Amino acid sequence: MAMKFSKKNFTDRTKDNISDDFMRQAVASAQERLHGRRLDAAEELGNWEEWRSHGEEIRQHVLENLDFYLHQLSENVAERGGHVFFAKTAEEASDYVRDVVKKKDGKKVVKSKSMVTEEINLNAVLEEAGCEVIETDLGEYILQVDDHDPPSHIVAPALHKNREQIREVFEGKLDYHKTSKPEELALHAREKLRQEFLDADIGITGCNFAIAETGSISLVTNEGNARLVSALPKTQITVMGMERVVPSFEEFEVLVSLLTRSAVGQKLTSYVTALTGPRDEGDVDGPEEFHLVIVDNGRSEILGTEFQSVLQCIRCAACVNVCPVYRHIGGHSYGSIYSGPIGAVLSPLLGGYDDFKELPFASTLCGACTDACPVKIPLHELLHTHRRIIVEEEGRSPISERLAMKAFGIGAASNPLYSMGSKVASTAMKPLTKNDRISKGPGPLKDWTDLREFPAVGNTRFRDWFYDQKGGK
Amino acid sequence: MGGTIQNRDAFLGTIAAQLGREPKMKVEKPIWKHQPQRTVLAGASLDELLEVLRVQCEQIHTDIVETTKESLPVALDEVVKAYGGGPISLWKDGRFGEYGLSGLLEAKWPSQQIEVNSWDPSLGEKNIELAEQANIGITFSDMTLAESGTVVLFSSADKGRSVSLLPTHYIALIPKSTLVPRITQASDMIREKLNNGEQVPSCINFITGPSNSADIEMNLVIGVHGPVKATYIVIEDC
Amino acid sequence: MKVSLFITCLVDMFYADAGKDMVEVLERQGCELSFPKGQVCCGQPAYNSGYVENSKSAMKNMIKTFENAEYVVTPSGSCATMFKLYPDVFKDDPNWLPRAQELADKTYEFTQFLVNVLQVENVGAKLKGKATYHPSCHMTRLLGASEEPKKLLNQVEGLEMIPLPNAHNCCGFGGTFSVKMGDISEQMVDEKVNSAIVTEADYLIGADCGCLMNIGGRAERVGKPIRVMHIAQVLNSRE
Repeated sequence: MAMKFSKKNFTDRTKDNISDDFMRQAVASAQERLHGRRLDAAEELGNWEEWRSHGEEIRQHVLENLDFYLHQLSENVAERGGHVFFAKTAEEASDYVRDVVKKKDGKKVVKSKSMVTEEINLNAVLEEAGCEVIETDLGEYILQVDDHDPPSHIVAPALHKNREQIREVFEGKLDYHKTSKPEELALHAREKLRQEFLDADIGITGCNFAIAETGSISLVTNEGNARLVSALPKTQITVMGMERVVPSFEEFEVLVSLLTRSAVGQKLTSYVTALTGPRDEGDVDGPEEFHLVIVDNGRSEILGTEFQSVLQCIRCAACVNVCPVYRHIGGHSYGSIYSGPIGAVLSPLLGGYDDFKELPFASTLCGACTDACPVKIPLHELLHTHRRIIVEEEGRSPISERLAMKAFGIGAASNPLYSMGSKVASTAMKPLTKNDRISKGPGPLKDWTDLREFPAVGNTRFRDWFYDQKGGK
Repeated sequence: MGGTIQNRDAFLGTIAAQLGREPKMKVEKPIWKHQPQRTVLAGASLDELLEVLRVQCEQIHTDIVETTKESLPVALDEVVKAYGGGPISLWKDGRFGEYGLSGLLEAKWPSQQIEVNSWDPSLGEKNIELAEQANIGITFSDMTLAESGTVVLFSSADKGRSVSLLPTHYIALIPKSTLVPRITQASDMIREKLNNGEQVPSCINFITGPSNSADIEMNLVIGVHGPVKATYIVIEDC
Repeated sequence: MKVSLFITCLVDMFYADAGKDMVEVLERQGCELSFPKGQVCCGQPAYNSGYVENSKSAMKNMIKTFENAEYVVTPSGSCATMFKLYPDVFKDDPNWLPRAQELADKTYEFTQFLVNVLQVENVGAKLKGKATYHPSCHMTRLLGASEEPKKLLNQVEGLEMIPLPNAHNCCGFGGTFSVKMGDISEQMVDEKVNSAIVTEADYLIGADCGCLMNIGGRAERVGKPIRVMHIAQVLNSRE
């Protein structure tokens, strides 16, 4: 799946999803649960703001010195016998992975959850080359079995599906004949996938954080699938976005603590694994060969711009879990593998305004995302920056809106003009007003009154009352 | 050994150019303004840490058993029986002997037809197969994080990654003296090793209870790809 | 204490009563009020839509209008937040930056002014009934005024405050969002209205007329029986 997965426009996608009652119920309850758990986990620490500040300073320092840390990381990976490939583009990255798999004569590839491999369309490239690619995260597996349904959440990709739908998918595709109990469904996946792990020649993982000082990569899961992917196949390929590096274990542990608390409200997930190079001499398990693919794919163009802070992201989805817009439209409406507030900022940067220019406007700028972010990315401010660029630099807004805003610029700067306008409004609205409200507004008001009553313009404006009462001051 | 590095210079050059400067060859890590992790459970005694661990074990769906060194064989035997016995997969680890478990592993269990397989690098892949078929995997904890209820395992030739991963059940033996407040101390220890010229092991696992997933309707299912149940046995050793 | 009122467009044109109530509450606290005549709009509608350049003329007008004010007090957390953002808008303009900063520093949202500057929590209000409070997003998160309204409301005689479920979720107003993204806004405001109804409160109280116009307008349209009130109206109630 590439970053963009839908040909429909934003409005249509949104309409489709708003009518999906199950999805909306699932998202609302997941949001409430995850939001609560995150708050509890934060409160427990007592000094969450200090943790956030620490996370922020670490991430900022890394981005300012990214070339240095990537250099150090690659040196240390190579010293431990791993191979490092720097990929400028999505194609370079997926081609390299395909070539490694071919060279190893790999037939079966097991994967643990990774957003960046979605971004570089890796599965399609490998399948085209004749490989069988198996997603092993339970959520990703469900989506893959269901004819590659796109993920709708960066941490819980199958959030939009209910157990009955999953049972049907399993029944249709996996010869499953049990109930829709999550325990039974999960057990079936465990049994199916266990054999795949044992048979696979290649394991592909993402990377939550890479540790420059030791040349380690780390994987954070609850299911244990990333451990299997990195313990059993003979060749391991890890794909990472270039920004996901930390200086040393000292910073690594802080960011992992922030990640697991913010994502799922856990102090640590069941498995946090730090892997350094291929297996050591004498080791029996672990890969014989290790490749690390470091992906740019548009990220470097964000560095040095007013959007740089978005690269601080540690993919916890805390912003998604508090977003009141995501709550109602779900992940698929965004049309990008990156959904929610982080997706609305990142997708236009990585995928361009042509495909994603509506996303920054699909927000009330309520700031819940910014508040939730464990590394203090000012998400709602970045959404606003997108808006400014889209209307002022790119000139992509409708001409009627541009004229209206120009008129606003003139009218709102001058009291006489405003005064005249607001008095005229009072008179002009009179015929439309009934019981102090307007139910069918003209022109631009129509969009409002289609959904809500509009208050009548008062007979006396506040300012007129004030002057009557107090005299001119 | 020596791996390869491809396309690095151009890639890093682009980054430096975007940041508006020459590539950096040296960076001093700043002294961080905030270090909240250092205050968590600072100064807590081992008994206090153990209490934290007890409470945390409930959160992570893990049974906790407390015992003395003397009673350890009995305690371990009970847990193993409760999990349905063998086959059992173990690390090749001198600590089993030091903690008085040789009799149990080498005599008692085999006499009860409980199969015990110690990791043996000379057997190669066979180890993985045995671990995969095992009902229970047992390892010691190299360091134990009270706050999160985590056992830290350093892998090596004798200590395969599979033992704590492939069997259906997992038992961690936790000498009480391995308790530390949190993952901060583990990262300090790893860095200390590094500063002493040691290299980090190829695999470090931070394990917190059994595997689980909430991918189906946010419903927590315990036991997905890794062990479905876990028990921590804390041994009074100090 | 001399206070200059920044009344906001919505209160000026549609909710003059809330403005009058704010005047009476402040006067009772001994404030000497003035209404600088040149004020129009803070520029937020254009600014939030991305038209930063077009919004600057409105902002400069406000900076000039309030140049001689000692304190600027407004019945809107969102519009107060906009004033607080002026220094950032003019950060590269050495002429306007200090003036923008001065305005930002002396601006207070109404409840903040009462609690933090005048140091009063009990303004002698009486209102019988049950109420729930919607914490507006800009006011709560961006301005940081989350406790002040609650402190004031807790002192209102006869008023029982009931927590609003999922109070932290935005009501779906978002300025031009409410009309540009009507489909989404509708879902958001419906949920907010329903949450308020669940509390069985008589009043939904807020401190931002944008949110109140949205929630109240939707409640009326779908025929849900809850009355929206600006907090100034509550604090000026005497029965």
